[in-house]
Amino acid sequence: MKKILLPLLVTLLFNGCTKTLQQNPKGQLTGNSAINTLPGLQAAVLGAYEPLKNGYTSGFASSAVVAVLMGSDDLTTHPASNKQDFRQMDQFDVTNTNGRTPVIWLGCYKSIFNLNNIINNYKSTAGPVTSVNQLAGEAYFLRAFSYFWLVRLFNNIPLVTTSTYNSSLLSITKSPATAIYKLIENDLQQAQQLLPFNKPAPGRPNAGSAMALLAEVYLMEGGYPINDQSKYTLAAATAQSVINNKALYGFALVPDLSTLWSGTSTAINTPEAEFEFEFDAAAGNPNSVYGKSPTPGDEGGWDDYFCEINFFNNFPAGPRKDATFHTTFITGNGMIPWQDGQTRHPYYQKFRVNTPVPNYLTSATSMSLVLLRYAQTLLTFAEAQTRATGAVSSDAYAAVNAIRVRAGLPPLSGLSVTDFENAVVQERAWEFAGEYTRWFDLVRLQLVESANANKNPGDLQPINGITKADYFLPIPFVDIQINPNLN
Amino acid sequence: MMIKSLFTKQGSLLLLLLLPFMVTAQSLHITGQIVDSKGTPLPGVSITEKGTINGVATDINGSFKLSVKGEGAILVCSQVGSQTLEVTVTGQQPLHIVMESSQTDLNEVVVIGYGVQRKGDLTGALSSVKAKDFQDQPVTSVAQVLQGRASGVDVVTNSGAPGGDVSIRIRGDNSIQGDNNPLYVIDGFVGADYTTINPQDIESIEVLKDASAVAIYGSRGANGVVLITTKKGKAGATAVSFTAKVSSASVLKKLDLLDAADYAATVNANAAATGTSAIFSPQQIAQFQVNGGTNWQNLVFRTTPTEEYQLNISGGQEKTTYLIGANYLDQNGILNNSFLKRYALRSNTASKVSDKFSIEFNFYATRLDGTNLNGNLGRQSPVTQAIAWAPTTPERDAFGNYTLNDPVGSISNNPVALETDQDQRTVNTTLNGILDMKYEFVKGLSLMVTGGVNYMNSQGMGYAGPSVSQGSPSATRSSLEGISLQQTDNLTYDNTFNGVHHLTVTAVYEVQSYYANGFSGSAFNLTYPNLQYYNLALASSYGLGTTYTNYGLESLLGRINYAYNDKYLVTFSVRRDGSSKFSTGDQYSVFPSLGLGWKLSDEKFIKKLNLFDNLKLRASYGWTGNQAINPYQTLTTYSNVTTSFTSGTVTPGLVLGNPGNPQLKWETTRQADAGLDATFLQGHLSFSADYYNKRTSNLLLPVTVPDYLGGGSILSNVGKIANTGWDFSLTGDLITGRFKWTTSLNFSLLNNKVISLANGQNMMFTGSDVGSGLSTQSEFVLMPGKPLGEYWGLTYLGTWKPDQATQAALYGNKPGDSRYLDLNGDHLINGSDYHAMGNGLPKYSYGWNNDFSYQRFTLNVFVEALTGYDKLDYSYGAGITANSDIRQATIAAIQNRYIPGVNETSNIPAFSTTNQSYIQSTRFLESGDFARVKNIALAYHFPKELLKKLDASVFVSATNYFTITHYKGFDPETNSVTSAPGGDVNQGIDYGSYPNAKTLTVGLTAKF
Repeated sequence: MKKILLPLLVTLLFNGCTKTLQQNPKGQLTGNSAINTLPGLQAAVLGAYEPLKNGYTSGFASSAVVAVLMGSDDLTTHPASNKQDFRQMDQFDVTNTNGRTPVIWLGCYKSIFNLNNIINNYKSTAGPVTSVNQLAGEAYFLRAFSYFWLVRLFNNIPLVTTSTYNSSLLSITKSPATAIYKLIENDLQQAQQLLPFNKPAPGRPNAGSAMALLAEVYLMEGGYPINDQSKYTLAAATAQSVINNKALYGFALVPDLSTLWSGTSTAINTPEAEFEFEFDAAAGNPNSVYGKSPTPGDEGGWDDYFCEINFFNNFPAGPRKDATFHTTFITGNGMIPWQDGQTRHPYYQKFRVNTPVPNYLTSATSMSLVLLRYAQTLLTFAEAQTRATGAVSSDAYAAVNAIRVRAGLPPLSGLSVTDFENAVVQERAWEFAGEYTRWFDLVRLQLVESANANKNPGDLQPINGITKADYFLPIPFVDIQINPNLN
Repeated sequence: MMIKSLFTKQGSLLLLLLLPFMVTAQSLHITGQIVDSKGTPLPGVSITEKGTINGVATDINGSFKLSVKGEGAILVCSQVGSQTLEVTVTGQQPLHIVMESSQTDLNEVVVIGYGVQRKGDLTGALSSVKAKDFQDQPVTSVAQVLQGRASGVDVVTNSGAPGGDVSIRIRGDNSIQGDNNPLYVIDGFVGADYTTINPQDIESIEVLKDASAVAIYGSRGANGVVLITTKKGKAGATAVSFTAKVSSASVLKKLDLLDAADYAATVNANAAATGTSAIFSPQQIAQFQVNGGTNWQNLVFRTTPTEEYQLNISGGQEKTTYLIGANYLDQNGILNNSFLKRYALRSNTASKVSDKFSIEFNFYATRLDGTNLNGNLGRQSPVTQAIAWAPTTPERDAFGNYTLNDPVGSISNNPVALETDQDQRTVNTTLNGILDMKYEFVKGLSLMVTGGVNYMNSQGMGYAGPSVSQGSPSATRSSLEGISLQQTDNLTYDNTFNGVHHLTVTAVYEVQSYYANGFSGSAFNLTYPNLQYYNLALASSYGLGTTYTNYGLESLLGRINYAYNDKYLVTFSVRRDGSSKFSTGDQYSVFPSLGLGWKLSDEKFIKKLNLFDNLKLRASYGWTGNQAINPYQTLTTYSNVTTSFTSGTVTPGLVLGNPGNPQLKWETTRQADAGLDATFLQGHLSFSADYYNKRTSNLLLPVTVPDYLGGGSILSNVGKIANTGWDFSLTGDLITGRFKWTTSLNFSLLNNKVISLANGQNMMFTGSDVGSGLSTQSEFVLMPGKPLGEYWGLTYLGTWKPDQATQAALYGNKPGDSRYLDLNGDHLINGSDYHAMGNGLPKYSYGWNNDFSYQRFTLNVFVEALTGYDKLDYSYGAGITANSDIRQATIAAIQNRYIPGVNETSNIPAFSTTNQSYIQSTRFLESGDFARVKNIALAYHFPKELLKKLDASVFVSATNYFTITHYKGFDPETNSVTSAPGGDVNQGIDYGSYPNAKTLTVGLTAKF
C-alpha cells in the first residue's frame, strides 16, 4: 500500500502549474493592433457612432437634444410635471447640475476620444487606400460634427485630440471657440476629400454631407460669438457647391412634406437627409426623441417638448403648418383642440410615430433623427450669399422660394437686403421648427433676448432676465469636480 | 490534470474505502451513555476497547453499544480536545459515564487557516458560530447564520428577495473597488461561493478577524476569512435525521400612499397652481370616492409559502465515517413571480486507511434556480413602480390586457406587468469536491495533499414580454462555465518538548487557478413571444456575446505556533503570493504577521484570585492584501458595442474601454489587534473584547475619468483608509436549573475614515447609478477625514416662507418653493453648493441572542440592531416630488404641503413652476437606525418514550415581526446597491429595493 501512496503524494506535491501567473486575455482587443486591419478600422468607425446615439445615456437618441435648445422660441415644456431639467433651459435658469447637458456633452466627447484614435492611427491600417481613406473621412466628419455641437452649446471647451489617457489631461484648460472652429473646418475639409460621393449606408455621411456641414460651420462663424464676417463668403460658396453637385451626392428636396414627416419608414433615409442618425428599436437602439416624448399627456405621452404659443400663432397656415403641428388630441373622452389640453399648447406632428399603426404610442422608436437637411443648405446659401455680397441674387431667391413653394407659401421677390435676410431667417425658423436649428440661429444673430421678450402669458417666462451668459450652457459639474480648471 | 491523476488510482482508493468494514467478532454486549458534568449527553465520543482496534462512537444521545471480550475489559473514551478517560467494564449495565467537561471549551479544537488549534492556544481574534446556535431557526442561507451571531461581523441584507444579495463585512470596509467580501473557505477549499452552501450542512463557522488569524491567507485575507466546516459522520449506529419546515412570508409594511380620489384632487390642485388644465373631472373624482382606485402595493406584494426539507444519514465504523445530506428548498418571494428553488446534496466521507494514512473526501452539489430576484433595480423595480403608478389608473384595460401607459403618474412600465410579463431566470449549478490525503511520517510530522475543484455552471434565461418592452418582446440566453482548481501541499510538524514547549510548524505550497468561458445570445422582436427564451432564432434581429476570463494565484506560506507551558503563546506566519492580475514586477507580495498570547489564568497570582476559569490577553500585528479586482485591468482594451444603421440589423462596433493602468499594485492592509478573553463562574460567564486598528494603503479606486475624455474610470491605487473599532461579546448562563436562560450579546463599533487621497487630492467622487433619472451627480464623496459612504448633496432648509419673498426672488423662487443652503452665496443653487451631508455605513451593530429552556420547551429570541447611519431615501423622494420618471406625487404626506394662504408653515414645497426639487439633498436623508426582533422560535422536544425510538421536536418561529425604526421606507435594512466590488461605498441608497419579508414558520425534526 505504502508503495503506491508515497509516490502518489510526492507526484501531487510537485504538480504546480507553471503557467499560473501568465495573463491570458483571450478575446480581448488591446492596443492599436485592433485597427490595423480594414475590418478592425471599420468596427472602430461604426463603434464611434454608439456614444452619439446611446439611449438616455449619451448623445442624440433622447430628448436631451431638445432640452439643450429649449431657450429658443419654437420649444417649451410642461410647467410642472417631471420637467425640471427642461424648465431650467426654457427659463434661462440652467444650473451646472442639470441632468440633460451631460448627455450631449458625454456623447460628443466619448465619440471624439474614439475618433481621435482612428484619425491618429488610420495611416497604419493595412488595406486598400481608398477604403481606409473613406473610413478616415467618416471619422473626420463625426469629430467635426461632435465638436460643432459642443462649441455651439458650450462655447469655450477643452480641445482633446489625443486618444491616449494620461493624467495630465485631468488639468487641461478650456480652449477658445476659435481654436475649436479651426479644428472643425480642417476636419471637414479632410472629410470632404476622403469621403465617397455615395453614402456607405443609411445614417453615414458622404462628401456632400461634409460640405453641407461645413457651410453651416461657416455660417455660424459669421455670427456671434466669432463674428468673422468673412466666413459668409465661404459659407455661400460651400453651400452652393453642394447645391451644384446635388445629383452627385444624391441630395434633393422631398416634394411632399407629409412624406418627410410621415412617422413611418418613408421618412427614413430620404434624399433630403444630408446627415441623419439611424435607429432600430427592435435591435435595442431606439430613437426616443420621437414617440412619447413630444406627445401630449392627454394622449398618454410625456409632454417633454412642444411649441410655444406665439410661435405657433405666427406660423403661416398651409401644408407645412399641418405637417408640422399636432393640434387635435385624441383622448379617452373624444377629440379635443389643443387649447383644451392639459398644457394648453400645440404639439409637434413631425416627431410622432405611425408604425405599426397610426399614432402608435412608444418611447422606443425606429425613426431616424434628421440633423441636416438639403433644405437647410438651400437656406444657408440664400442667407450667406446675401450677407457676403450685400445683394440678393436670383439664386438666393430660387433657393428660398423652393422651400416656400413646398410649404404652400407665395414666393418672395423684390425685398431689400435686410428684409430678405430676415425673411430667410424666419423661413429657417418655420421650416426647421423643433429641429435643432432655431436656437443656434438666435445665438449667432443675437436674437435670444428679442425672441423671448414678448412671450405669451400662457408660456413659461425667463427667470431673472436673459444676458449673454445665457447664450451658452454651463459645463457639467461632474467634469468641473474632477478638473476645476474648466470652471 | 491533478484531478485526473487521482481518478486513475480509482481502483485502489475504492479498495481502501472498503478495508475498515472487515471487523472481527466479539462476545459481551454492553450498552451505555456518556454525559458531561452538566448531564448533557455527549455525542461523537470515541470508545475503544483497550489493546484492540474494536471501537464505536456515541450517537446523538450519547449512547453506545459495543461487544467486548468480557468483564474487566477497559474502555478508552476519548473526544477530540478533551481528556481521555478509561472505564473498566463491570457487570452493571447500562454504563453511565461522566466525562469532565469544564475545560472542554478551551481544549476544543478550532479550525484555523491550514490547520487546527486548541481554542486555548489561539493568539488570533475569532468569532465562532456552531450548528446548535441556529438549529431551530428558519435560516436558509449562510448570511442569515452569521447575522448578529458573530461579533465584528456586519450583515446587511441588501435585497429581501429569496437568496437576495447580502453584504457580509468583517470589521468594516477596507477597500472601495477591491472586494470587501470576506474570503470563504469551505472544508479547505479557498475562495468558495458561500451562497452555494446549505446552512443545514454546517457544523461550525469560524470567523477570522485579526492579522494573526488571517495573514495566512495573504493577498485574500484583508477582509477577514470565514471558515466553514461541514458536518461529518460519526462512528456508531446509523443516524437519520429529517427536518421539514413550512413558512408563510408577507411584506413588512406598506407605505401610506394617496387613494385614487385624493390623488385625483391633488393632481388637479397641481394643475391649477401651475397654470394647466385639470386632469380629472369632478365626476371622475366622485366615482373614485365610490369605487376606489388601484392599490398597486396590494397588487405587487403577496403572502406566500416556503417549504424546506432536509434529510441526513450518517454513521460509520471507527475507521470510516460518512454523512449524506439532501436538501430541498422552495422559497417564494413576496413580490409576485419571484422564487428560488435550491437542490443540495452533500456527501462527506473520511477514512483511516492505515495508522499513517487517512483520507477525507467532501463533496457537494447545489443547484439554485431563481426567477426575478433582482429586486433592487431602482427605477424598473416593481416596488418603485407600485409607488409611481397613479391609483387612478386601472391595472388592466378594457380588453383585459395590462395598461401599458400610465397617463398621469409614472412614465415607466406597469408594476404588475414588470412582475409577470418578464422572466429573469438564473440556474446555477455548483459541484465542489475536495480531497484531503494525509500521511503521518512519524508522530507529529504529517503531509497533507489537498486537491479541490469547484465547477460552476450558470445558465441565464431572460424574457421581456410585450407589455414591458414597448411592444418588441425580446429574450436572452446565456451560459457560463467557471472552473477553479486548487492544490495545497501542507507539511505540518507538531510536537511537545520537555512537556512545556509545544511547537507546531506548518509549511504550505498552494496554487489556484480559475477560468471561465461563456457566451450569450439575444433576440429582439420575437416572432413568437409566447415561446419566450426557448426559440431565439425566430426574431427580427440578434445580438451575440462571448466572454473569457482566467487568473491564477501561486503561494508559499509558513506558520509557527509556539506555546510555552500553555501559558505564553506565539504565532508567526508569513505568506508570499503571486497573482496574474498584476503586471510582471508587481505580481508578488509578502504578508507577514505576529500574534502573542498570555494565559494569565495559569499564573499563580491570578489563580489565587479564584475568579477566572480562563483569562487570556492577545495581541497581533500583520499585513494582508487585496487582489480581488477583475483581471486584465492593467491593459487598455476595447469594448464591443452595437448600433443600428439599416433597419432590422445589429451592427457591431468597437469603442475604447476603460484605460488600463499598468502601474496597478496590491492593496495592502496592516492590522493591529489587542484582545482579552475571560471566563468566570465555572464557565457560566464568558467575555471577549478586541480593539483593532486597520490601515489600508494603495487603496484601489476606479477613479472617474471626466466625460471630456470619454468618461468611464481607471482603476488606480489612490490613498489610505483606516478602520478602527471594538468587538465585544458576552455570554452568560443567567438562570440555571430547571428553567434555563442563556444570553449572549455581541456589539461592534466601527470607525471608518479616509486618511489621504493620491496626489494630495481633497475629494473624489463615486456614484451608484441607482438613481438614474433622479440625480445626475455623483452621490458619494471621498474626503480625507470622512468615512467611506459619505453622501454628497445639498442642505435643504425647508420652504421659503411668506416673509422671505424678497430673498427667495434672488434665487428665482417664491414663498412655498424649496430653499437650499447657498454655500458660496452666489444666489445660484448649483454644483458648488453640494457638500458632504451624511453617511450610509452603520457605525454600531448589535446582536442579542437568548435561549430559554424549561423542561421540554426551548425558546430562542434573537434581536439585531444597526445604528449610526443615514439612508438616502430615493423611494420617498421619487414618490413625493415630480421627477424624471414620476410626474405626480403619490405619497400621502403631499397633502400636508405648503399651500399659499392655507398652509404656509409646511416644509413640503408647494406646487409651483419655480420650485426646484433636488433628490440628492438632506430633505430625503433619514436615519437608518433600527432594532429588530429577528427571530422568536419556540420548540418542543417530544419525550422519547412517547414516540418509542424516535427523537422528535417541533418548532414555530416568527421572523422580522417587530422593528423599531423611524425610517419612512419599507425596510431600513435593504438598499439598492450590491455587495459586489465598489458597491459598499454606495450603501444606503434605497430606491425600490426588495424589502425583507416577515415570516412565520413551523417545523418538525425527527431523528432515529
